[in-house]
Amino acid sequence: MSQPGANCPNCGAPVRFRWSSSVQTVCEYCQSILVRTDVDLRKVGTVADLPRDGSPVQIGTEGRYRHLSFVTIGRVIYEYDQGLWSEWHLAMSDGKNGWLSDAQFEYAVTFAAPRRQMPAAGAVNVNQRYEWDGVQYTVTTITDARYRGIQGELPFQTWDKEKARFIDLRSAAANCATLDYSDADPVLYLGEIVDGDALQLKNLRSFEGWPS
Amino acid sequence: MYLAYGLFVLGLLSAAEYWGWSFNSVSQRKDVPRSVRDNPGSYRSVYGGYPHYTGGK
Amino acid sequence: MAVVSGDAPDRPAAPPKVQGLNCPKCGAALSVRSFDHAVSIVCGSCHSILDAKDPQLRILQQFEGKVHEVQPLIPLGRRGRWHGAAYELIGFQQRTIAVDGAHYSWHEYLLFNPFKGFRYLTQYDGHWNDSVTLRSVPDATRGVIGTVTHEGVTYRHFQTATAVTSFVLGEFPWEVRVGESARVSDYVAPPRVLSREATGNEATWSIGQYTSGRDVWAAFALPGSPPKAVGVYANQPSPYGRAGRVWRPFLKMAGALLVLMIVLSSLALKSQVFKHTYTFDTRRAQPDQPESSFVTEVFDLQGHTSNVELTTEASVSNNWIGVSYALINEDTGQAYDVGREVSYYSGRDQDGAWTEGSTRDVAVIPSVPPGRYYLRVEPDADPGPGTIRYTVILRRDVPSFLLYGLALLALAIPPGFATWRSMSFEQARWAESGGSAPDMGSDS
Repeated sequence: MSQPGANCPNCGAPVRFRWSSSVQTVCEYCQSILVRTDVDLRKVGTVADLPRDGSPVQIGTEGRYRHLSFVTIGRVIYEYDQGLWSEWHLAMSDGKNGWLSDAQFEYAVTFAAPRRQMPAAGAVNVNQRYEWDGVQYTVTTITDARYRGIQGELPFQTWDKEKARFIDLRSAAANCATLDYSDADPVLYLGEIVDGDALQLKNLRSFEGWPS
Repeated sequence: MYLAYGLFVLGLLSAAEYWGWSFNSVSQRKDVPRSVRDNPGSYRSVYGGYPHYTGGK
Repeated sequence: MAVVSGDAPDRPAAPPKVQGLNCPKCGAALSVRSFDHAVSIVCGSCHSILDAKDPQLRILQQFEGKVHEVQPLIPLGRRGRWHGAAYELIGFQQRTIAVDGAHYSWHEYLLFNPFKGFRYLTQYDGHWNDSVTLRSVPDATRGVIGTVTHEGVTYRHFQTATAVTSFVLGEFPWEVRVGESARVSDYVAPPRVLSREATGNEATWSIGQYTSGRDVWAAFALPGSPPKAVGVYANQPSPYGRAGRVWRPFLKMAGALLVLMIVLSSLALKSQVFKHTYTFDTRRAQPDQPESSFVTEVFDLQGHTSNVELTTEASVSNNWIGVSYALINEDTGQAYDVGREVSYYSGRDQDGAWTEGSTRDVAVIPSVPPGRYYLRVEPDADPGPGTIRYTVILRRDVPSFLLYGLALLALAIPPGFATWRSMSFEQARWAESGGSAPDMGSDS
């Protein structure tokens, strides 16, 4: 799964990809944002300081979802009118990737669902209903967010992006869906909200005065 | 707990039914002589009178 | 500083520290305990609410001197083992509602664990609840109006009122102001409670579980004892269990009673041991006339000690006959005295035909030992022109259905008492409910 042998074009340090299809990553040593082309790694920028937040998750946090285990390999921090939240890029034990949504101890695990019917960006309103894979979803929120920070490996490029629009949907049960309109090609993510305890998170951040 | 109580009630009931217990107490006396069979009038009933009013108006 | 993964050689991640800050107004030291989660911090010394997200700690509100100081029972910063993890008390607020002109206040304690998040302990009149925010919205569409359903359990509306924040201490992951109000609705399914809190357009749901003060005291190692619980609280579980349950063993006992009744009454002898018809000449009746007394032949009372049923039937019409009986054991001389009367009257008046009394009288002599017996009979009636025919019947060992009825009543006493206690408890619970009706409308 991990690809050996690449080096940072800026500082020469070894760069490791923990997920085979990661497109963008950050060099741990010089903080350069690197994009993977067919041929090599290209530096496109430098990460800014991450905003402070209280999430206990960090890069390298491990956990379990259903029958799979995962490790967090990347992160995007978004900012909206009510604050910040993180989307953690997960490398799953079956070779696929997924996302862990992390907003003040409320978690959801979703996976990209390609080739599904998706409405146009302007056509969606709160309380509308959609159905995917036999499950009924209702639109709960429409969020306009901006990119506030990145870490680690991501399956897309974010260095050239500023704004993103997300539409969140919930089913009557614990299913959730997100329509991601940050790219020209919108992406649908399907998954479920999960309880923090159910994720069995290990290797969390340490907090002064709190034994882990 | 209730089982013990219930069995007690049923046991008490069985004893009462078996031995013919009742709430109305009946006046008893012992040593009624055999002579009463020959002279029933000599038996002084516990009931001095009648179970209803017999006096004049 | 960007947080890097542990792989980097000489860049160990710096764990976030507990911040030491000072109040911009009075300079008092402030502890921030929730690692970048805090939105509002209260300075306990000068009662200023500060903006935790502002590096200058801008003052948002000052409530010094305007409120009654309240001491939290769990001190700020105290840690305890709660719900499977260590939690620290980081915030405290008092909230007040006005119902029927009276003010009721409760206390909310905010607990924090950096890995697990926030929990809330609420306390009112010695009753405690352990709550967390709910992510899914309970279903208000099914079932009766005034109930909501969550995870298959139906919660009944208990109270809706406007809650005003009347005192704050510590820090909170949301904006707080003394004097701000929220519409709070409680729905109960003891021991749980669903609370809906709405400010403006937003509504948040939380689920709470009734907790004993003793558990809180033990978890936080607090001195002394918890405040005594007064009355019955909204979601306090009933110590008497579910009312219906106590009647199941009763039904089983009643079944056993029925079987017993069938068995015993069929085993009873119910045998007729004596029947004779006599004639009383009323022309010869005089008060206290012992000549009318006579004795019957001797008969056997068989079996074990049991009762004797004595029936007197008389063909009286608008007349009466009194009979004084003595059941005498020929061998032991034991006598049982019974005085009976048969009277029957009938007639017509403006309301129609009426009757009074009966031509038949039944009496039971209890616990008569077996043996040879005879009856001494002394009839009496008003002096009259004719005769009264009367029949005396004795039956040995008859079942008493009154006793079966009493036994059934006795069996019903414990479940009846338990049901009464449970109903009183529930009455006390719902006596505290009220306020407004639940706010209707869809929820976000």
